[in-house]
Amino acid sequence: MSQINQSGTLLLLGVNHTTAPIDVRERLAIPISRLADATRTLAHQPGVREALILSTCNRVELLTVQDAPAIATSPPLGMMSFLHDYLNLPAADIQPHVYEFREREAIRHLFRVASSLDSMVVGEPQILGQVKQSWNVAREVGAISSMGALSSVLDPLLQRAFSVAKKVRTETQIGSSSVSIASVAAELARKIFGSLAGKTVLIVGAGKMSDLAAKHLIQQGATTLLVSNRTEARAEKIADSLRTPAITTGVIPFEQLHEQSHRADIVITSTGAGQVFMPDHARALLHRRRNRPVFFIDIAVPRDVAPEINKLEGCFVYDMDDLQQVAAQNQAVRSREAEAAEVIVSKEVARYSDRLSQAPAIAAFKQLQLSAEAVRQQELARTAHRLAAQPLTPEQQAAIEALTKSLTAKLLHSQLEALRETSPDPGDAISDSDGK
Amino acid sequence: MSLLWLRVAVLLYGIAALAVLPAALYNRPRWRHVAVPAALAGAFFHFVSIVEMLYAAHRALPVDTHETLSMLALLLAAAFLLLTAKYRTVAFGIFLLPVVVLLTIVPAFRPGHETLAYPAIRTGWLLLHVALLLAAYAALFLSLIASLLYLIQERRLKQKLASPRRSWLPPLETTDQIALKALLFGLPCMTAGLLIGSVVALQTIGPTFFADPKVLLSLAMWVAYMLMIFIRQHSGLRGRRAVYLSSFVFLVVLAVWSANALSVVHRFKAP
Repeated sequence: MSQINQSGTLLLLGVNHTTAPIDVRERLAIPISRLADATRTLAHQPGVREALILSTCNRVELLTVQDAPAIATSPPLGMMSFLHDYLNLPAADIQPHVYEFREREAIRHLFRVASSLDSMVVGEPQILGQVKQSWNVAREVGAISSMGALSSVLDPLLQRAFSVAKKVRTETQIGSSSVSIASVAAELARKIFGSLAGKTVLIVGAGKMSDLAAKHLIQQGATTLLVSNRTEARAEKIADSLRTPAITTGVIPFEQLHEQSHRADIVITSTGAGQVFMPDHARALLHRRRNRPVFFIDIAVPRDVAPEINKLEGCFVYDMDDLQQVAAQNQAVRSREAEAAEVIVSKEVARYSDRLSQAPAIAAFKQLQLSAEAVRQQELARTAHRLAAQPLTPEQQAAIEALTKSLTAKLLHSQLEALRETSPDPGDAISDSDGK
Repeated sequence: MSLLWLRVAVLLYGIAALAVLPAALYNRPRWRHVAVPAALAGAFFHFVSIVEMLYAAHRALPVDTHETLSMLALLLAAAFLLLTAKYRTVAFGIFLLPVVVLLTIVPAFRPGHETLAYPAIRTGWLLLHVALLLAAYAALFLSLIASLLYLIQERRLKQKLASPRRSWLPPLETTDQIALKALLFGLPCMTAGLLIGSVVALQTIGPTFFADPKVLLSLAMWVAYMLMIFIRQHSGLRGRRAVYLSSFVFLVVLAVWSANALSVVHRFKAP
C-alpha cells in the first residue's frame, strides 16, 4: 500500500441497500444530470486529490484519494461535510448508515461492486456500466488523473476493477440466469424460440405483471403485441401504452380469442377468471399453427390455462409457481457462482495490492538504471571524443559497448539485490538490467 | 505420409470430442476455445490425408469401407464446424465428434491397401456420386441429431427443468431449423448422387444394374427421404414423431450401406 500512501490514501465512503433504508438512499441519490457537478465539488474538497461518485438506486459511494491529515477522523469530516453541504442532509441522519473502507479493503469493495457481488440482485449486469459512467464523468471533470500521470491512483484502479468484473463474468455463471419472474419468462421464451425477433406476444387480461412480462419480451426482440380483454377499451389502452414505432400492436375482441390466438407465439394470461384456455382450444390453436410451438405464461390465480395443455406436443405452459421455481433455481446457481467469484476477487485484490507494494522498489530500480545508463553514455561519449584522431573500428566500438554494459550491470547487481530484499514479492518485478 | 496426417487428425478430433463436453454441458468458454480449433485443425489434416492418399493411389475414388467412412467423418466434422460458426452452439459436437473419432480411428490404425478392380471406371463422376451420397448421409445423420436435441430440450422445458446450468441445448426453433435445413440440403445431394451413379452404371454395366439389391434399396431410401421431407414440411412434424421418422429413414440408410455386401455393382476394390 506504500504507493497509495505516497500519492495519498484511498478511501471509500458510502451507503447501500444493506446499510440504509430507501428514504435515506433517495435523499442521498445524485441524478446523472448533477453527477459531474457533484464530482467536481467533491474533488475540490480540502485534502482530496482524486474523486469519483457512484450513485445508483441502491448505493451512493464516494471513492477518493486523500492526503493523510484530511482523513485523520473516521468518517473523514471533509467527506461528511460534502454530503451535508451538497445534499443538505444533517450529518446525524447519514452517519449511522455510512460505511467506510480504506486502502486494501476499499480496493476489495470496489472490485466486488464492479463485479456485481455487492448488488441487491447479485450478478445483475447494470452496475458495471454505472461504474464506468461514473469513471467517465470523473475523468471529464478532471477529478481523476489520466493513466499516464505518475500520481494517478484511481484510473489504474478502476481499469483493474473493470477487468476483474470481466473476469468474474467470463469465468463464472454469475450473470447467466434470470432471477425475476418477468425475465425468467423471457429467458424461457428464448429457449423455445431462440431469437424473439419477429415474434408475436398476446396479453390476455390486464395486470401489472403481464405488462412487465410483455415489456421484457419486447426488449428481447418481439415485434408484435396483441391484447385481449373482456373490456375492449381497457385492451386498447394497454395496447396504446405499449405501442412504439418499432412495435405493432393490436386488439383481439375477447369473444374471438380462441379463433385468433394462433397468431401469437407467446400467450401471457392474467385474467384470473380461470380456464380461459382448455386442451381443445390448444389443439385447435396448434392445428392452425401447423404445430409450431406456443408458449403460455399463466400468471393468473386461479390459473387461466389448463395444466393438461402442457402435455400437448408443441405447447409449453408455465404458471406462477413454475416461474418462481425457475427463478429460485437460478438464484441458487447465482449464490454458488458468487462464492467462486469471491475467490477471484480475493486473488485479484491480493495481486493488485502486491503490485502496489512493489511499485516504489520498481520505480527506485528504474531510476537507478536510468542514472547508470546516463553515466555510461557520458563516459562513452567522452572516450569517443578523446579518440577522435584515431577513430575505433566498429568491432572495437562493439567490444567497448559490451564491456561498459557488463560493468554497469555488475556494479548495479549488489544494489539490485538490496532492493529485492526490501521488496515484499520482488519475483518478476525487478530484474537485472540486462534482462537476466 | 497420409496415414500420419490421419493419425494427427484422429488425435485432434479426440481432443475436440473431450473438450466439447465441458464447453457445451457446463458452458465453459475456455474449453470451447480448445474444442473448436482442435476440430478445425483435425478437419484440415484429415482433408490433407485423404487428398494425399488418393493422389498416392493414383485414383479419385475411395474403394473400401474404411476410406468411405473416413470421408463421411470429414463431412460430419465440417458439419460441426459450420453449425458452430452459424449458430454459435457446440452442442452438436457432443454427438458428432465422437462419431467422427470412431469413423476415423480404424482407417488411421488399420489401413487397407486397396486398388481399383476396374481401372476403366476411374472417373470423376463416380467420386461425385460417392461424395454427394455421403453428404446426404451426413445431412440425414445431422437431422437425426437435431431432432434428438429437440426432443431432449422439449422434455426439459415440459418438465420445468430449464435450469441455466443445463442450458447447453440450443433453442427448440434453432434445432428444428437445423433438422429441416439438413434434410433440404441432403435431398438434392441424394437425388443427384443417385442419378449420377445410375448413369455411370448404365454406361458401364447396362440395364441389369437395376436388379442389384443395393440399387433397389437406394431407390427405396430416396422415396423414404422424400416422404420424410414432405411430411415434415406439410404437417409441421416435430418432437417425438420427427425423431421416429428420422430414425426410420436412418435405418433404411444403414440397410443401404450394409447392402454393399450383396451388391455386385458396388465392388471397386481388387480382390
